[in-house]
Amino acid sequence: MTPLLDVSNLRVAYGDRSGKRVAVDSASFTVEPGEIVALVGESGSGKTATALAIMGLLANNARVGPGSAIRFEDRDLLTLPERELRDLRGRRISMVFQEPAAALNPVMRVGEQVAEVALVHGERDKKKAREQAIAMLGRVGLPDPAEQYRAYPHELSGGMRQRVMLAIALLLKPSLVIADEPTSALDVTVQAQVLKLLLELQRESGTAVLLITHDLGVVAETCSRALVMKNGQLVEQATVDALFHAPQHEYTRELLAAMPKLKRRA
Amino acid sequence: MSDRPLVSVGGLVVRHESAGLFTRRATKTAVAGVTFDIARGETLALVGESGCGKTTTARALLRLIDAAEGTMVYDGTDLRALRGETLRRQRKHMQIVFQDPFTSLNPRHTVGAIVGEGLLVHGIAKGDAAKARVATLLEEVGLSASDENRYPHELSGGQRQRVAIARALAVDPEFLVLDEAVSALDVTTQAQVLALILRLRDARGLTCLFIAHNLAVVQQVADRVAVMYQGRIVEMAPSRALFDLPAHPYTRAMLDAVPVSDPRDRKERTLLVGDPGVTGVQTGCAFYSRCSHPAKDAACTTQQPPLVSLATGHLAACIKTNINLEPT
Ligand SMILES: Nc1ncnc2c1ncn2[C@@H]1O[C@H](COP(=O)(O)OP(=O)(O)OP(=O)(O)O)[C@@H](O)[C@H]1O
Ligand SMILES: Nc1ncnc2c1ncn2[C@@H]1O[C@H](COP(=O)(O)OP(=O)(O)OP(=O)(O)O)[C@@H](O)[C@H]1O
Ligand SMILES: [Mg+2]
Ligand SMILES: [Mg+2]
Repeated sequence: MTPLLDVSNLRVAYGDRSGKRVAVDSASFTVEPGEIVALVGESGSGKTATALAIMGLLANNARVGPGSAIRFEDRDLLTLPERELRDLRGRRISMVFQEPAAALNPVMRVGEQVAEVALVHGERDKKKAREQAIAMLGRVGLPDPAEQYRAYPHELSGGMRQRVMLAIALLLKPSLVIADEPTSALDVTVQAQVLKLLLELQRESGTAVLLITHDLGVVAETCSRALVMKNGQLVEQATVDALFHAPQHEYTRELLAAMPKLKRRA
Repeated sequence: MSDRPLVSVGGLVVRHESAGLFTRRATKTAVAGVTFDIARGETLALVGESGCGKTTTARALLRLIDAAEGTMVYDGTDLRALRGETLRRQRKHMQIVFQDPFTSLNPRHTVGAIVGEGLLVHGIAKGDAAKARVATLLEEVGLSASDENRYPHELSGGQRQRVAIARALAVDPEFLVLDEAVSALDVTTQAQVLALILRLRDARGLTCLFIAHNLAVVQQVADRVAVMYQGRIVEMAPSRALFDLPAHPYTRAMLDAVPVSDPRDRKERTLLVGDPGVTGVQTGCAFYSRCSHPAKDAACTTQQPPLVSLATGHLAACIKTNINLEPT
């Protein structure tokens, strides 16, 4: 089986006034179809940069290193013309951005932002797009989705905005969803609902997920494999079971040791 | 008087106006009568379902949005009465780390300017002294002094969050609101930042309102916990009591939904079934439709359950529960 996503030797450097900053340093990994893979690691270690490189959405001051390759469904994303990349985005591969407040359009109703994904990718019937959007907003746990459809981003709570972001990414059931901290603003019951939805989409549509998260509980609960990043490098790749029970790298051990655990009376 | 609470909120009601479906503008009650005190040096955690009104409560308390009803008193000062210069001076004591760091940081200012701004505005330090203070703060939150020349958009999500924390701490506030302030940090960096906050609490009695979804983190830092559901506090207790003897069915559902910490213990997590609806006027208990309490009945739907005391400092708003009930 060829992997759905094959990232090899990825190198991303940002240039700013202070010079060049290597954000991702020769990272190689794969994601198989239908697999849920965690990407965890230090704040600033290059997780979002990795995600943005795959999506072709890196900032202007970023450069992808010459030896890098990103293959997705047998296409080389790094050399794909922008027009073809735009067609893939949202339909075959989508991203839940880490900061929904910054990623959403502040002057457009949130429901319309969800429906737009369908319209951009060929849906002609506005009413159908709207119905699809409302249904997905409901599935990600937004209360009263038909009413909230009309809200503007600033009228929603942090976690509600995050669910809108999720609805946008999941609407067309792409084969790969890159979810960058998709549950960081959700309480545990809504979080459980969202993770269950990801597992449902995995079963229904074979959706694979690259799940970037700081919540190791979410990793333990949902993922089959995990990648650990530090200083731009992938320092460990393992099954989730091995990661939690036989961590190899010193940094992984540090992470596990620092994981806050809820203590409850038995 | 040393036992006077530093912060005292009574019957707080906050409404938002928004674009409604049938009317052009609709009013939504996001906070529907919230009462709590925070003692000097205490950390009160505010937890609850996404959208239940936590951020709105915090913003009203800091006078960033208007309260519709209720009282808010800070160290004897009526916060709702403050205007202009007195309000500005009060702001030095009360700082907030916003839930969305990116939108709360001025994109045109460097990290150094953002963190140092309060020092200048409140006349605390300037020049080299301000620069040194900024450098110390950046290092305390796990950034480096050289990051002062960078801009917010050049940082990672967790780095921006730490800039917001450093900015809030810069003016040495007495009272700090942390709204999901460590949720974008890896667990080791998170532990470092929490240790810093706890150190400030011990060293100079920093008082905190700690809003968070990660209950394991809440358990680590909070002295007391208030649980909100649809605009109201449904349970409030010393941290230990809340986690050991949760009294309200919503609190229990929440605790049961915490993810496991070992992949070998995977289980089906409890899901709350039923649409919670958007906060609005309803008679009876707002949690009724999703409640799994075995004794729930029509009595729950006739009146708003009052927040009553079950044990010292332990309050819950459920007419069917008492503290002796075995935790599920
Ligand atoms: N536009 C940019 N210009 C310059 N440097 C950048 C830019 N964006 C990110 N960086 C830097 O690149 C590195 C990697 O950032 P990235 O956002 O990938 O981290 P991350 O692993 O997602 O962290 P977090 O968990 O905090 O979100 C960081 O050191 C960051 O400061
Ligand atoms: N500016 C606004 N205009 C209209 N409605 C608003 C506004 N801000 C918040 N709301 C609504 O008020 C309610 C409470 O929002 P709030 O942001 O206080 O929730 P929260 O408890 O902080 O949630 P989260 O955990 O998701 O951040 C939500 O229903 C939200 O849609
Ligand atoms: Mg990131
Ligand atoms: Mg909030």
